[in-house]
Amino acid sequence: MSELDKQFHEAIVNVLLCVADDKLFLGHRNSDWTGIAPILEADIAFSSLAQDDIAHAGAFYELINSINGENPDQIAFGRNTSAYRCADIVTKDDEFNWANAIARQFYCNVYEYLRLQRLSNCTWSPLANLAKRIDAEQAIHVDHITTWMEHLGNGTEDSKERMQKALDDYAPYASMMFEAPRGIDTLFEGGILVNEGCLFTAWKDCVDNIVDGTGLTITVEPCTGDGGRTGNHDEDFTRSLNELQEVFNTDPLAAW
Amino acid sequence: MVDTKDIFTVLHTIPDPEMPISITDLGLIEQVEVSDSTAQIKLLPTFIGCFALPAIAEEIKQKVSRITGIENVEVELINDPPWTTDRISDAGRASLAEHGISVPENGSPCTAHNEPKTIELTTSAIPCPWCNSNETALTSPFGPTRCKSIHFCNACRQPFERMKKV
Repeated sequence: MSELDKQFHEAIVNVLLCVADDKLFLGHRNSDWTGIAPILEADIAFSSLAQDDIAHAGAFYELINSINGENPDQIAFGRNTSAYRCADIVTKDDEFNWANAIARQFYCNVYEYLRLQRLSNCTWSPLANLAKRIDAEQAIHVDHITTWMEHLGNGTEDSKERMQKALDDYAPYASMMFEAPRGIDTLFEGGILVNEGCLFTAWKDCVDNIVDGTGLTITVEPCTGDGGRTGNHDEDFTRSLNELQEVFNTDPLAAW
Repeated sequence: MVDTKDIFTVLHTIPDPEMPISITDLGLIEQVEVSDSTAQIKLLPTFIGCFALPAIAEEIKQKVSRITGIENVEVELINDPPWTTDRISDAGRASLAEHGISVPENGSPCTAHNEPKTIELTTSAIPCPWCNSNETALTSPFGPTRCKSIHFCNACRQPFERMKKV
């Protein structure tokens, strides 16, 4: 199906914003490491991950534009805090602690890989095609972060301890990724998206499987309460948004 | 009316801005149609949102519009079918190999839709494009462009790049 019935527009835009905003802000925060990551390869990797994520976000904003005609730059940069739909793990300050950056990346990458797999089964073909294509790139992110988890988990006592602390510190934020986007039930009921069961359970199985044998443990609980997916953001998000909008706001009508 | 073959001939002269290969050999062109004096070209991005795309689209417009009988050139980006490394032609593969860029074999499975633990970017033996040895190691899955990884050959002690398998 290449045309989407009007009754689903609002719900699908909301789901697309969850994906695009997660990727835009995660990419933005990962680009903080450009030039200062611990080793050269990590520096190039985090810069590439940032490029990938921001490019993917752009493709999702374009898809939103095809539904409601809104300018992609305006969607990306021109909203108020409560209109953004990302989970605040993507903007949680890593304090330039490498273990924090890796923990955030690990939780988010596996989640994104599984979410895109599910969106690939969407019956609206423009989204299914895009999700399928981006998931092939996302697989490389998962592969990369898996290597880091094994490397740090199996490294020294010090690396394992720091990695575990970061995983624990980010656990409450990881929970918030699983807050259901508003309107997703409408899309399940309307046969637009396929309800493939609990995303948290699938994610927990995957992350447990990846750290299996490293001695690291994942203590993330299922989501309770409202957070970023319904527009309730924390201070770290607001700081990130202000930073992101700083240049855009100097001339919102400029062509980019 | 202009024959689509003539348009393909022109497209074949346009190189990818980041690699020694034409955009036709890279498999970027999905469809070319001509109606009256308008050429419509459907282009597949290698990596989504690749930063070279605007430059490629601009060059297509410039060069194709110089063909006698063509007044308008429309370039549309599409994601269906998805671009994969299987779309790179034999001539393209040969040209890339000459420059030390390795390409996954045709039909090798795409990395998406596996369980994350079974994605095997790092473990599979990748032959060196310089000396064909399998004694190679992944240096970094991220390289000079988004679509390439960096490897090192322990036999001939040379680094090389590889198109990522998507």
